[in-house]
Amino acid sequence: MKGKRMLMFELVRGAAAIALALAVGTIFIFLSSDEPLNALRYLLIGPLVSLKNGVASFNTQGLYTILAAMIPTIFTGLAVCVMFSSNQFNLAGEGIVMVGGFVAALCGIYVHMNTGWHAVFCVLVAAIVGGIIMLIPALLKVKLGASEMVTSLMLNYICMYVVLHFLNYNFADRSKGSTQTYAFDATAKIPSLVSGGSKLTWGFVVALVFVVIVGLFMYRTRWGYAIRMIGINQAFSKYSGMKVGGTIVLSQVIGGVLSGMGGGIEVLGRYSTFLWKELPGYGWTGITIAILAKNNPLLVPLAAFFIAYLNKGCQLMATYCDVPSEMIDIIQAAIFLFFAAEQFLSGYRQKIVVKNTRADLAKESAGLEGGAK
Amino acid sequence: MWGQLLDTIFKAEFLFSVIRITAPILFAALGALIAEKAGVINIGLEGIMMISALFGVLFSYWTQSWLIGVVGALIVGVLLGLLMGFFSLKLKTDIILAGIAVNMMGSGGTIFLLYMFTGMRGNTGALVSPNILIPTVNIPLIQDIPIVGEILSGHSVLTYVAFLAVYLIWVLLYKTPLGLNIRAVGENPNAASSVGVSVLKMKYIAIAISGALAGLGGAFMSMYYSQGWNSGMVAGRGFIALAAEAMGRCEPVGTMLSSLLFGLAQALRTKVSGLQGVSSYLVSVIPYVVTILGLVIYAASTLKKVKKHRAKKAQLEVQK
Repeated sequence: MKGKRMLMFELVRGAAAIALALAVGTIFIFLSSDEPLNALRYLLIGPLVSLKNGVASFNTQGLYTILAAMIPTIFTGLAVCVMFSSNQFNLAGEGIVMVGGFVAALCGIYVHMNTGWHAVFCVLVAAIVGGIIMLIPALLKVKLGASEMVTSLMLNYICMYVVLHFLNYNFADRSKGSTQTYAFDATAKIPSLVSGGSKLTWGFVVALVFVVIVGLFMYRTRWGYAIRMIGINQAFSKYSGMKVGGTIVLSQVIGGVLSGMGGGIEVLGRYSTFLWKELPGYGWTGITIAILAKNNPLLVPLAAFFIAYLNKGCQLMATYCDVPSEMIDIIQAAIFLFFAAEQFLSGYRQKIVVKNTRADLAKESAGLEGGAK
Repeated sequence: MWGQLLDTIFKAEFLFSVIRITAPILFAALGALIAEKAGVINIGLEGIMMISALFGVLFSYWTQSWLIGVVGALIVGVLLGLLMGFFSLKLKTDIILAGIAVNMMGSGGTIFLLYMFTGMRGNTGALVSPNILIPTVNIPLIQDIPIVGEILSGHSVLTYVAFLAVYLIWVLLYKTPLGLNIRAVGENPNAASSVGVSVLKMKYIAIAISGALAGLGGAFMSMYYSQGWNSGMVAGRGFIALAAEAMGRCEPVGTMLSSLLFGLAQALRTKVSGLQGVSSYLVSVIPYVVTILGLVIYAASTLKKVKKHRAKKAQLEVQK
């Protein structure tokens, strides 16, 4: 009963935070657009409902596009969940996604294997490289106490420039107008899940499998338990005999592995060559998703869907109306602030707690009286 | 190649550029410092710089006055600092997440805001004219000294403000009651509040000053350094500033010295990338690698000191 009420409160609070963020977005739409209502329509229902000649119909391709967009962000969201759970603000996911994508593409071009194994191999290599890179901020933090936040932020830039260096100087396909690698083997391509132009690949299924794996890891293994405990109270975990340093490194490396994997799957699934020229932004989106999911891996797909939906809405708004798609950043920032605000609606929570306690007391006294008789 | 490089480095012009490049990092690092002193980690510096850089250009364009532009950027910085303060202190959003949110607004939100206000995309190219940029000043007497004059004179007004701010922040922190209160709140909030210091108020003040300094850094970037606003302009300086502050042991002078080190790394990058046969991408990595190395050296030396201290203590215990 008590749990149910608090859960209801959490849901109401989340919904209120999202509503407030959307309200902030709406204000900006009204400020910037000449046709705000049209823009709002594209933002809110555009991604899934297409209007033709006044008849609304469900847009299946739109759904596929959204699901496809979730693939990399589910991975980065999971990565951030694991890393933030140990109370480490490691933000290097962003750079590692790019390295992972690049490494996977190189494996797809220069290593030749059979269909089926090739893609798996590429993604695995990307994952391993991601994990290795993440060792840098993790070990520096654990061994020297250097702020993982600053080192990981710097690492993002280093990752980006190093990838760009190799892309431009060693692996560029000079016959193309823009800077890109050669096309990778057909065997390395991750096959589509549905027919049509959408980029929904088997990567989506893999992502969902990893949601379950990471969920089980965090809530059903002792390592996951240790990671969460260290996040809640590091000193206590240390005194109760947990290997704090090793566990923190483990959580960061898992984050790196997941981020690298996400980058690899995204590049092999969406493109036929590597062509990113800047950080793709999935790492930051992963942070928003982890916040929305409250660091619970099982809620990550839901949060990823929500963000992908909003993103698509913003793109439509930019295409068909006069509102730039960067609007998404303002909405995301607002969601971020309100959703992570512990005291947001705290007065309301207080009331619930008081009500619960009163009910409990009443029950108790009733029970006592009953016993006396 | 090396000879070529050495030639360019041992010139007054190079040291001049080091000072010029240091100024925005110094502003932000001082912002990080004062927030840190009050026990607030401000990782939103990057975003604050981006947003106030944009508003600096917009205000100065609207009023055709660089001074109003700078003051506007400063006020925007203060408001953003207070916004972070409101969410982290009042609504208890984790301060790091609040900072990330501000950075998000800084990276994408600014592009949106620019479009909303002017209809331009990505940069302010056409808005900027020389009269709305921050003017440079020649210092009398010093400018006539050979070499030293070339290095120290002829900078923008804000460059001098940046280095003056080092002194002002030092005075504020160590010579005024307000500074004492800020430090007390950062060191031990319970003790501070038990003697009647308002912890919340001190934290708000510190983060507002932090925002103001980052705002000046932003104005410097858009209204002097790159002569206009563009979306990739701040390029991690807000984050580098955090490292500079950590390396400067959270003291004004130390922070200035480490900021100069990062300024040197950036200046070197610009020089080296001008040379033949050097990958501009690898060169771009220099400031970020230097930051990590600096942080590592600093962290390692602190660790060593702590260990030494503990060993000494243990020895004393044994002798007793």
